[in-house]
Amino acid sequence: MFNPRDIIEALAGNVKQTKSPFGIPKFMVNKWFKDLSLPKEGEYLLFTGLMYQFTPFIEKSTQYLEKYEGTKMATLLKYARYVPAYLSGIGLAMMTSGKEKKEAGQTLKNIALLLQKSKINFGYRPDLDNYSGILLYDMGDQKGFVAHAKMLAQKLQNAGIKKIITVDPHTAYALKELFPKYTGISFDVKPYFELLDLEPKDCDLQVTLHDPCFFGRYLQVSDIARKVLTNFGISVSNIRNQGEFTSCCGGPAESISPSLSNEIMEKRAKELEEPGKPIIAYCPICLGNLKKSGADVEDLSTLLVRHI
Amino acid sequence: MSSISLDFAEELKEYSEDKALECFNCGTCAAICPLVHDNFPRRMIRYIQVGAREKILENSDELWRCLHCGLCTHTCPREADPGEIILGLKRFVVANWRS
Ligand code: SF4
Ligand code: SF4
Repeated sequence: MFNPRDIIEALAGNVKQTKSPFGIPKFMVNKWFKDLSLPKEGEYLLFTGLMYQFTPFIEKSTQYLEKYEGTKMATLLKYARYVPAYLSGIGLAMMTSGKEKKEAGQTLKNIALLLQKSKINFGYRPDLDNYSGILLYDMGDQKGFVAHAKMLAQKLQNAGIKKIITVDPHTAYALKELFPKYTGISFDVKPYFELLDLEPKDCDLQVTLHDPCFFGRYLQVSDIARKVLTNFGISVSNIRNQGEFTSCCGGPAESISPSLSNEIMEKRAKELEEPGKPIIAYCPICLGNLKKSGADVEDLSTLLVRHI
Repeated sequence: MSSISLDFAEELKEYSEDKALECFNCGTCAAICPLVHDNFPRRMIRYIQVGAREKILENSDELWRCLHCGLCTHTCPREADPGEIILGLKRFVVANWRS
């Protein structure tokens, strides 16, 4: 386990300086929309919160942290001075492979396509699409989170935004529950799958759905995701820990203790592997973590796009 | 023996809702927590109840093992919100580092 103080101060410093927990400038992270001609205006604003875009960087950073955790070397190196370097900056961006970055972008393209096919009137504004600050909240840097959330909520309000589509559970929770509570500014926030209205090809398929904690338990919208799948003729196997009683994928512990994160992930992967394949995730952190366990897993949007 | 701070619960009100006294120590949260770690989070809540402020600061690294998965909060029979209490303790410790 790393010293939480070093990790938190590194992440908080990055968010303060660059508005991103990994200190990588937004133009290097957010490129998925560049070869699409998405409208800027619409009834809804598509707000990715950059979580899918961050996943390849998180994976790379965890690989480095994993190498040091629990080794003698780690004690000698004194985490405070060396470890945060693996968590941030252009260096991390350079170390991360283009293939993984492309894959993360493809998921967002799929989501945009699903919304278009469902005739949802939405716009995308890269200038308004920012990290929600949720990691600061989860780590207990309340001051840092509130300052970041206020800045962002104000920016969205000034742009006249009222309705927002989110793509991941962490950003959805931040915007739907935390922003009204801590910034006093509310938006009508919907996860993208709640808006889907598609004409699917009938498919004879069985999947196991891994509900993320924030969609399954905190926001209680996992029945909507199940309905989307059943409307496609896809049957979802029942597992013991699902919906509001879903089990964590271990992702949130990644930066503090990669070994603890792996332990939780292995347990969850076993629960999911039993009833049938493939496993479907609908959170970038869960997706990345379950992939790491070697599970046969893909994103909900990837599966749906293949069947429209 | 560690010192006891009688106004610890009062001090924590700044960081989270004051729910620790709702807890009757049943252990459901510790049983369901995926960390399966040394009576966590129940032990931390007990420290609050008895004012063991120093114990929390001494063991503060443990708080960041919590995944904020919410399973304990969802199953606590007393609605004591153990997951949010842990988050509140993280905030308390961060504020302490920075003070
Ligand atoms: S489940 Fe609730 S009442 Fe039981 S020990 Fe945990 S916090 Fe206390
Ligand atoms: S929120 Fe934290 S303490 Fe509660 S069950 Fe999840 S990991 Fe355990």
